[in-house]
Amino acid sequence: MPSTEPAPVDPRPRVSPVDGVFGVDGYRCAACAYPVAIAVAVCPSCQGPVEPARFGPDGTVWSSTVLRIPVPGRPAPYVVAYVDLHGGPRVLAHVGGDRHLPVGTPVRLTAPGPGGDVTVSTR
Amino acid sequence: MTAHIWGVGSSAFGKQPGRSTAALAWEAVGEAMSDAGVRRFDAVYVGNVFGEPGMAARALLGLGIHGLPVHTLESACASSAAALAEAKHAVESGRHETVLVLGLEHLTSRFAGALPAEPRDFEGRSGLATPAMYAMAARRYLDVHGVTAEQLAKVAVKNQGHGMGNPRAQYRNRVTVDEVLASRMISDPLTLLQCCSLSDAAAALVVGPRRRTARDVAVAAAEYTTGGLWDHTSEHVWGFELARDTAARAYERSGIGPADADLFEVHDAFTIGEIVSTEALGLAAVGEGARLLDTGHTALGGKQPVNPSGGLLSRGHPVGATGAAQACEAVWQLRGEAAGRQVEGARAAVIETLGGGVGLMDGNACVVAVLTR
Repeated sequence: MPSTEPAPVDPRPRVSPVDGVFGVDGYRCAACAYPVAIAVAVCPSCQGPVEPARFGPDGTVWSSTVLRIPVPGRPAPYVVAYVDLHGGPRVLAHVGGDRHLPVGTPVRLTAPGPGGDVTVSTR
Repeated sequence: MTAHIWGVGSSAFGKQPGRSTAALAWEAVGEAMSDAGVRRFDAVYVGNVFGEPGMAARALLGLGIHGLPVHTLESACASSAAALAEAKHAVESGRHETVLVLGLEHLTSRFAGALPAEPRDFEGRSGLATPAMYAMAARRYLDVHGVTAEQLAKVAVKNQGHGMGNPRAQYRNRVTVDEVLASRMISDPLTLLQCCSLSDAAAALVVGPRRRTARDVAVAAAEYTTGGLWDHTSEHVWGFELARDTAARAYERSGIGPADADLFEVHDAFTIGEIVSTEALGLAAVGEGARLLDTGHTALGGKQPVNPSGGLLSRGHPVGATGAAQACEAVWQLRGEAAGRQVEGARAAVIETLGGGVGLMDGNACVVAVLTR
């Protein structure tokens, strides 16, 4: 049955391919170079102007877990990680498989999941 | 002039789907009014997260409390602790004289399982439910500091044990480290007994000027702030710096330092939360918080008990009511009325409430309050 709930604007970071390489289409501060993956009005760090910037594809796992309880619309279990994109922001990403990735694992952005989740795989 | 808590009260904590939100409020406020000897207020400060519009004002009507300002504050898990901070300021600035603080939450009429991930938040939309948020903090902390799953589990063992002495607590079970670790895995490395569950409750505080009674408790400090940036430069797990900096201000304002406090009520929504909180509050250096559990320093009977009420893990975590509930416990402890879990001779208590939520932010909100006799 179709949901009668209005769908809120998708607030997740955008990931797109350029020449087959995936990257996050985010923003960087023109004044202090602070990187951010999501839409912001100004730089969250110094309030300077931001301009479009691209981050990825490579990053390092800051931490990771396997969520084993269901979240509406998502069958459990699934693996998520905080990933520090090299020279870029820390992003929440989904990871394939059923095991968490150890701290420091090198990963790479891949095609977003079917619902639009930022997704990484091990390099 | 320092604001004082004149009276406190709470409902029982737990899944109470058969009781209305208003009935929980009547129980808590009724007890607090009797305790304070006050039936009229100049204003009410309410902490609530998931309730419907107008809920608090309608609940208060049934107590004959109406025709006054009712300010409802939402600061995630720190909502009613933030209400206490506002009430303190209202009394000390002369805006209001006698103020009611009410923490109120009825989660079982809203949710069936874990709190849902918020689809309007960029991490919630990505499926980051609250347990996963804390689990990644725990995973990072264990890996970086060499802390074991057994040490993490000791938080649950201690706080469930403390809750045995609290007749209002949601869970009162003696559990072992093995039982905690063998309970169902929720989000690695956090097992079921390391996670708070849904709870319905209300807690109330009557706040006013100093009266020089034997029972009133001074709110020596109540500092409230939202988190700064938590980003690619952050070494600490989320929430640590927010709690550390909020605590530093509360200590400075009250003149009470971490070594001076006789007990702490801290935000152990998940086991890792207590370890990180005790470090942020200055009880241990970063990476050393688990040793407090090994030595018994933070257990009842130890030098500085943490969560003598049982904490969020045992008493329960009715989100918007938690801060007021922590303050109730501090007041009972400081008056010597916490039979079954009393910290002997307690003169100073610290409460810390941390509102969850990452997403580039170091926690939604934090309150650290210092209460003294």
